[in-house]
Amino acid sequence: MADLAAFTRFARVYQAGEIIFSEYEPGDSFYLIQSGRVKITKIVGEIEKTIDILQPPEIFGEMAILEGTPRSATAVALDSVKVLEFNRANFEVLMMGNPQIALRLMKLFAKRIYDQKRRFMILTLDDQQARVADVFLMLNETQAQVSSTGEQDGEKREFRVTVEDVAHWAGMSSQDVQAILAHFSNQRRVELYGDRIVVKNINDFSRFVSSRRKK
Amino acid sequence: MPKVGSFRANSVIYFEGDVSDKIFVLQKGRVTLKYTDIETGADVHDMIATGEFFGVKSALGRYPREENALVVEDAQVLVFAVPEFEQFAGANSRIIIKMLKVFSNQLRRIHRQVENLMEKQEALSPEAGLFRTGEYYLKNRMYSQAKYVFGRYLTYYPAGKQAEVSARHLEAAETALVRYGDGKGPAIATGTSGGSIPRSRAAEGGAESAPRKPDPAPLSDAAKSYYNAVSLFSQEKYKEALGEFKAIMDSGGDTEYGPKAAFDFGRSLYMLQQYDLTIKHFTQMVQSSPRHPDLLDILLYLGHSWERKGDVERAKGFYRKILSMEQDEDHATHIKARRSLKSLEEGARG
Repeated sequence: MADLAAFTRFARVYQAGEIIFSEYEPGDSFYLIQSGRVKITKIVGEIEKTIDILQPPEIFGEMAILEGTPRSATAVALDSVKVLEFNRANFEVLMMGNPQIALRLMKLFAKRIYDQKRRFMILTLDDQQARVADVFLMLNETQAQVSSTGEQDGEKREFRVTVEDVAHWAGMSSQDVQAILAHFSNQRRVELYGDRIVVKNINDFSRFVSSRRKK
Repeated sequence: MPKVGSFRANSVIYFEGDVSDKIFVLQKGRVTLKYTDIETGADVHDMIATGEFFGVKSALGRYPREENALVVEDAQVLVFAVPEFEQFAGANSRIIIKMLKVFSNQLRRIHRQVENLMEKQEALSPEAGLFRTGEYYLKNRMYSQAKYVFGRYLTYYPAGKQAEVSARHLEAAETALVRYGDGKGPAIATGTSGGSIPRSRAAEGGAESAPRKPDPAPLSDAAKSYYNAVSLFSQEKYKEALGEFKAIMDSGGDTEYGPKAAFDFGRSLYMLQQYDLTIKHFTQMVQSSPRHPDLLDILLYLGHSWERKGDVERAKGFYRKILSMEQDEDHATHIKARRSLKSLEEGARG
């Protein structure tokens, strides 16, 4: 991070609770966290949902600089936060001078593209049960929400997700997802807990989804 | 150091679904990436140009390969492990920037495809979305956030559809922040309900003739019926107005127009010379909403009603109450109360 000394003039400080940018705001800058944590939220219906909590040296707001699109989420300082703010004008200079940041950004894009493609695959399933099952396959692939404490041996997988999370990824209503999960639970394919969902046989889900995917 | 790999025609460099940390650059020969277009289901062949990287995204993210890399003509490739690629790219920023641009285009495309499938989510314009975000914060008493968002709205859309409302909301958020602090105080009515973004009043035309405080509020359905009723009142169609105001009060849900309609309902009763009913209605209002924005005028109508009924002392009491509550001598209601009180006192002497 030593090479960032030249960029201290782009430093910004935010107090806890302060908005860095709001969802829908036109954005032309992205941020590199130097200290403190940043919460990324999105208002879905009548609920503000936390999408992520980021810390140094993570990057956020990177979508806006290349596309000039409005912000897709709100960034709020969770603690006293120090960031470096970059915009389209100084972006190339920064990237040229800091390939490490450029690489991090590239990995971020790779992840975003993958996530979106995977999401697309879920949404193209007509069978709603398969959609729900495919959400767990996706989570299993990315490992993002797989509990680190739970047993992962064999075919059993434990996911730290709620019904609402699954509904969001499946593009379905919470009620529908709840009903399907209850059905899976009756079939002893999943176990439902308040803070987690256990899939008893991930390969069974995989076969099930494959059988429902149009060729 | 990257290794050189040679592949025979018709061989496969990697298969879809493989997980690997290898990144390739085509040096010689012909390689094609074969995959299924997720939208159309059609098979796609992308020919790799000499000098072009492939397998970058999946290797960097350690995701399953999304395509089959097929060798069409004997090929020679450079094979990088991720750390080697990072080292190489670190010294070639232009390549990274170029890749970043390619990635961002791909991301934009897939993002749009996903959005298309999520059809139930209505697409909001950034302007409407920003406004709604501010409303959400205001409704949930997150005043500093609301302040920020409405402030941004006014910066970006100073002549926007919701500019006047945003200015008002901004002011409300500032006031509430000072008076109550974040998360506290009464909920602030934002005047719009559900997901619909009402059209601005200016865009609506007709309703401009509505008298009483020109209100820049956007025209929700509740607003439309309210201004329609106000319009009837101004045409001295008090009976019809009375019915309309009553309907708005009874529908209840709308917190912005409910109290306004309640006030105008009382005024209509007064104009219909229903003084007992006026007194009953306004007395209830004073008790149930002592902080009603039209409180002074409510007291004035109470005074007038008692006066019309011949109860001079009670009328005077209300006028005095107004003078003590609003000491600004130029305030319209103060002036009216002073005048009414004076005429009653002179009447008593004369």
